[in-house]
Amino acid sequence: MVLDETAGTVRRTHRLRNADPLLVLAVLVLAVIAVFVVAPGAVSPHDPLSAVGQSLQPPSGRFLFGTDYLGRDIFSRVVYGTRTTLLGSLVAVTCGLVVGSVLGLVAAYFGGVVDVVVGRLVDVLLSIPGLLLSMVIVVALGFGTLNAAVAVGASSVALFARLMRSEVLTVRELGFVESSRHIGASTTRILLRHILPNSYSSVLSLVVLQFGASILWISSLSFLGYGAPPPQPEWGLLIAEGRDYIVSSPWLVVLPGAVIVAMVLSITKVSRTVRRRYES
Amino acid sequence: MTGAQARYVVGRIAQALVIVVLTYTLVFAILYLLPGDPIASAVNDPQNPLPQDQVHVVLAYYNLDRSGLEQYLIAAGRALHGDFGYSLTTGQPVARMFGQALPHTASIAALAFLVAVVVAFGISVLATHGPTRGVRAIARAVPSVTLSVPSFLLALVVVQVFAFRLGWFSPVRDSGFKAVLWPALVLGVVVAPHVTQVFVQGVDRTQQMPFVLVLRAQGRSGYAIFLRVVKNAVLPTLTLFSLTAGELLAGSVIVEVIFNKNGIGQLTQDAVRGQDTPVILLVVLFVSTVFVTINLLTDLVYPWIDPRISLRQRTRDRRGSGRGGPQPASGDVTSSSGEREDERKMASAGVDHGA
Repeated sequence: MVLDETAGTVRRTHRLRNADPLLVLAVLVLAVIAVFVVAPGAVSPHDPLSAVGQSLQPPSGRFLFGTDYLGRDIFSRVVYGTRTTLLGSLVAVTCGLVVGSVLGLVAAYFGGVVDVVVGRLVDVLLSIPGLLLSMVIVVALGFGTLNAAVAVGASSVALFARLMRSEVLTVRELGFVESSRHIGASTTRILLRHILPNSYSSVLSLVVLQFGASILWISSLSFLGYGAPPPQPEWGLLIAEGRDYIVSSPWLVVLPGAVIVAMVLSITKVSRTVRRRYES
Repeated sequence: MTGAQARYVVGRIAQALVIVVLTYTLVFAILYLLPGDPIASAVNDPQNPLPQDQVHVVLAYYNLDRSGLEQYLIAAGRALHGDFGYSLTTGQPVARMFGQALPHTASIAALAFLVAVVVAFGISVLATHGPTRGVRAIARAVPSVTLSVPSFLLALVVVQVFAFRLGWFSPVRDSGFKAVLWPALVLGVVVAPHVTQVFVQGVDRTQQMPFVLVLRAQGRSGYAIFLRVVKNAVLPTLTLFSLTAGELLAGSVIVEVIFNKNGIGQLTQDAVRGQDTPVILLVVLFVSTVFVTINLLTDLVYPWIDPRISLRQRTRDRRGSGRGGPQPASGDVTSSSGEREDERKMASAGVDHGA
């Protein structure tokens, strides 16, 4: 017992020393972004919505990312926009996860007609590229942050449903599920207590991956003008607003863009590490 | 072709048709039957540029006084005859607007596809056969980095650097081939990562196969071995064909908006902005049909390219369970085709990343 624990500590310190520097960087980026979300007021030096300096200033000590055409501080707008964008992604992933998991679970467990119906729905949803499908839904729901998020979520339902279905099909055949059926457990109980927890690992890794993808999608939708209305700060919208001044002030586009890329890259890195650890 | 194979082919074609019809139905339902009567509100919107005398024509055409189901049946019947209705913002026939936009997008998308193939192949070769470990590691990281860059950012940076700074092309004026080349380069790079990932995986796996060892033992040159490995590894990427086509069409929205092209992408953007539902319906129907058709073709042609997989086996795999499930494992053939299904699943699980 004691030996085991020492071995554990040794392994842990060993792991810390050999930690992947990219992973450390990714976690740091995510930590900084988390601060942006929790306390934007503490980090951002200026008010994101009002002019605080001359317009179109290049990046400097006072204005880290420069100022936009109205003299608003871009860095503060990026910081405040984080919450909008990430909240949107959270809504999107939750929609996709919940609806998709239920569909996949039900389809795989009941099989037969239910499976065929869900299978066709998934085929149909997959035959429309995600961005286009979310545009269709945005037309129906109207523009806005929440609507764009729901649209992105609905477009990822098929991915979750398909993965969940194949996971459940694997678990369903395992001995303990059959045993609990013989003991007399109800269908709901078997689904929720036995099948769901055991088929969730790879779905969770898709969740993290999809979170990164949703950030890109939502930014794209708001870049096209379907998301948050101006003057709200939102990552994609910031870049869309900077687009008109790209010749004279490229930092309006490049610096907020770099934040998006750093964020999504970090998420991908972390999700990959988590999955690898889970598999090994 | 045996009777069973013919039945399979007919069945697959029928299935593809069903998906197209269902897609039309679903999108119709989303666009028209949700509360709020989008056609009436779009046409009656005071900002709508449609002249007053045309408003009545459009309203009468769409039979808004009928029930939802009747509207659907009328619209679907007309669509079968090639009549996709009239735009709510210009009053023009939607089919004509679409026909005018299609060639622009087709030329960009076709060139972008070539770019994607070249990029994917180049990066994969560097990732698996690069001269040093560092080069290989960097090339391996390229796809996931590209996936993390929003396509609009890449397009804007290209416009800024190559059009405004270096003046290599004009972002507004249509200057022949160059006007197609640059958007196609961006679109191709955006679409390439999934193909690259699957190809790299394919090469990695093929290199561990016994036949490579035999070739090496025979003293064949590295190049000869490489050619045979590539031949085997390229097969799984064919299954990504339909997906790539879909991504090219969806990606053209962003690229056309930024490069000022009047293709399907720009048409879609204008339609979404103006809530021009008939246009959106036709665009989605078109993209989905392209996707389903290419998917069908790859499925039917695949056994012919890779004789280890027969048509019937593919059906069984499809119906059977997914990863690691109880499969009727009978020798090499089933397991190899099972692996292929896995690949497709894996490939598309992480997909839809680049928006």
